[in-house]
Amino acid sequence: MKLLMIDDDTGLCELLSEYLTAQGFAVDCFHDGAEGLAHALNHNYELILLDVMLPSMDGFEVLKQLRQKKLTPVIMLTAKGEDFDRIFGLELGADDYIPKPFNHRELLARVKAITRRIEHINSLSQQQTSSLSVNSIHINLATREASVNENTLSLTGTEYEILAMLVQHAGEVISKEQISEQVLGRRLAPFDRSIDMHVSNIRKKIAEHVNNERIKTMRGSGYVLIQGE
Amino acid sequence: MKTPDWFKKPRHYLFLKIFAWFWVTVIATITTLVFLSKLTSNVGNDELRGPMLKNLQYTAKSIERIVAKHGKSTQEVISHPRLSKHKLLYLNGEVHGVEMLSEPISKDIDLSLLNFTKRMSPQIIFTDEYQAYGPVKIDVPEGTFFLYEIDEKRKKPFFVGLWLMPTWLKIIIAVIASLMLSFFFSRNLIAPINSLKETANKLAHGDLTARADISNSRQDELGVLGRDFNTMATQLEQLISAQKRLLADISHELRSPLTRLKMATGLAQMQAEDAQQAYLERIEKEANQLDKMIADVLQVSRLEAKSQTLSLSTQSIQVIIDHVLNDVRFEANQCNKHLSVEGKIEKEVPCDETLIASALENVLRNAIKYATQHIHLILSESDAIYITICDDGKGVDEANLERLCEPFFRQEHARDRNTGGTGLGLAIAKNAISAHDGTLILENQEQGGLCVKIRLPIKS
Repeated sequence: MKLLMIDDDTGLCELLSEYLTAQGFAVDCFHDGAEGLAHALNHNYELILLDVMLPSMDGFEVLKQLRQKKLTPVIMLTAKGEDFDRIFGLELGADDYIPKPFNHRELLARVKAITRRIEHINSLSQQQTSSLSVNSIHINLATREASVNENTLSLTGTEYEILAMLVQHAGEVISKEQISEQVLGRRLAPFDRSIDMHVSNIRKKIAEHVNNERIKTMRGSGYVLIQGE
Repeated sequence: MKTPDWFKKPRHYLFLKIFAWFWVTVIATITTLVFLSKLTSNVGNDELRGPMLKNLQYTAKSIERIVAKHGKSTQEVISHPRLSKHKLLYLNGEVHGVEMLSEPISKDIDLSLLNFTKRMSPQIIFTDEYQAYGPVKIDVPEGTFFLYEIDEKRKKPFFVGLWLMPTWLKIIIAVIASLMLSFFFSRNLIAPINSLKETANKLAHGDLTARADISNSRQDELGVLGRDFNTMATQLEQLISAQKRLLADISHELRSPLTRLKMATGLAQMQAEDAQQAYLERIEKEANQLDKMIADVLQVSRLEAKSQTLSLSTQSIQVIIDHVLNDVRFEANQCNKHLSVEGKIEKEVPCDETLIASALENVLRNAIKYATQHIHLILSESDAIYITICDDGKGVDEANLERLCEPFFRQEHARDRNTGGTGLGLAIAKNAISAHDGTLILENQEQGGLCVKIRLPIKS
C-alpha cells in the first residue's frame, strides 16, 4: 500500500512514516504543496494525507487541482480544527478529515478504513463483474463507476461508496451512523456534518444530469434512494 | 410621571450645582448694579481732555476776538451760525442769574445744574437731558462768563431707554438672560464629564472600543482630560488584545510539537515492554489533557474575538439538550449524583448546534462537579428560551460570581487540578451563548448552590 503524505512538519512526517511503515504501509513524504501535488498526479497512490497549511500552495488548492484529474482518496489534516476548514475540505472532495493533534490509533483506523475498502473492491472486481441499476442510476461494482442516464459521474471514493450503499439498499432508509461506520470506518460523532457534506456533493453531481431529486433526506434518521419515478 | 432623579436629589448633580452658582452670581451682580445705580444720582462728570478741550478753547477765543474786533454784542456773536452751527452755546455769567444762549432751548433742559461746575476746570458733564462741555472762562465787554457747549440728546441713548423700562420687565429680562447664560455655560462644562462617565462605565463592562466624545478643539482642562482618557482606553485595548492574541498564538504553536509528541508516544508504545506501558499511557493521557486545554483556549479566543464562523442551522434545542444529557447523565451516575430535568422546549431556532451543545455540556459538567447530590435542569420557553441549571453545592462567593466566567479563574477551594477541568468551561459556555445573542447569568440560590441561567432569544 503506497501512501503519500504532504505536510510541512518534517518531524511529524518522519514519525508518521515510521509508524505507518511499521503497520505495513509505504509512505512518501513531501513538505511543499506544489511538489506534493505534482507527485500525486504522476504516481498512483492508494491514499493521500494532506495538511491544510502548506508553503507555496495550501492544502485546499492542492486538493482542488488534484480532483480535476484524479480521484485518489484524500484525508485532510486540519490543524485549525475549525468547522469552516472541515466543511470546505469535504466540499472540495476530501474523503475524510482528521484534526491535529491526532491520536495515532485514530489516524491508523481511518487510513485502514479507506484502504480496506479499496482492497475489498479490488477483490470483488476480480471475482465478478456485477452491476446495479436503480432509477436510472447505474453502478458498476467492478470498475467502481457510477453513471446517470449514461453520463458518468465523477465521484470521489467516499462519494462512490455512499452512493453504492444507497443503491444497494434502494427504498430503505440508511442512517448516517450506518454510512459513517461502513464508509468512513468510524462512529459518527454528535453533530458531525461530514456525511451530509458527502451526500450533498453526490446530489450536486447527479443534478448536473437529471432534474428530479433521487436521494431523499429523512430528518433525524438518514437518507433513502427513491425507487421508481 | 416619574420624578427625575436630578430633581429629587439636586445636590448629587454637579451640573445643577455649577448652574445654580453661576446663576446666583449673575443675578447678584445685576441686582447690586441696579441697587447702586438707584442710590447715586444720574449726573456725572469727567475731566475734559484732548481735541474736545482744544475745540472749546478755540470757540472761546473766537468769541472774545470777534466781539473785540467787530464791536458786536456777545449775544449777536454767539447766535451767528458760523459759531453755533449744529451746537448750542451757553454763557453763564460770573454774576448769578446773568446768562446767554446761542438759541432758545426747550424748558425740559435744566441748565442750572451747571452752576455748580463754574469753578471747576473744563469738564464733560452728563445729565439725563444733555451733555455739556465746559466751563471755559471768557472776558467780553458784558462781563466775565463761563462758556459751555451743550449737546442735546435728541434720541434717548440705549442705557437711558433701558433705565426707563418698568422694573418688573427689567427683572424678567435679567432673570431669563442670566438663566440661559448659566445653563449653556454649565452644560458646556458638564457635557464632557458626562461623556467621560459613560465611557468609563462601558470600559468597565468590557466594551474596550468605547471612547469619550470630546472634540479635539477643546483646549481646557476637560478637553485635555478627555483626550488623555481616550489615549488610556486605546492603550488598554491594545494591551488586552495583544495579551489575548498571544495566548491564542502560543496555543496554536503548541499544537505541532504536541502532534509529534503523540506520534512519538505511539511509536514507543509499539515497542515498549509491559513495565513501560503504564508510563507511556500516562504520557498519552497528559498529552490528551494538554490537547483539550489548547482546544479550549483556542475556542475561547475565537469566540471572544468573534472570529468564529457560526454554522447556523435551524435546530430543535430539545434535540441538542437530549444529546448532551445522554453523555452527562452517565457521568452524573458515575459520581452518584442525581440529575433531574423539568420542562420541555418545543421551539426550533437557528443556532450552531456544536457550540450550544458545548456550552450546555460545560455548564452541566461544572454543576456535576460541584453538586453534593442533585443537579436540576429547568427548561422553559416564552419570549425566549430559558435553560436553568442549578446544583446543591456550596455556591460561589458573591464577589467571585462575575469572575467565574473568566478563563482560568478558579475559586480557592476549587484549585485542585484533579477534577480534570481546564478552567475554561464557563468561559466557553458564556461566549458560546453570547455568540447567539443570548445571556448567561450566574446566581447563588438562597438555599445554597449555584444557578446558571441561560437565555436564548427566539429568532426566525
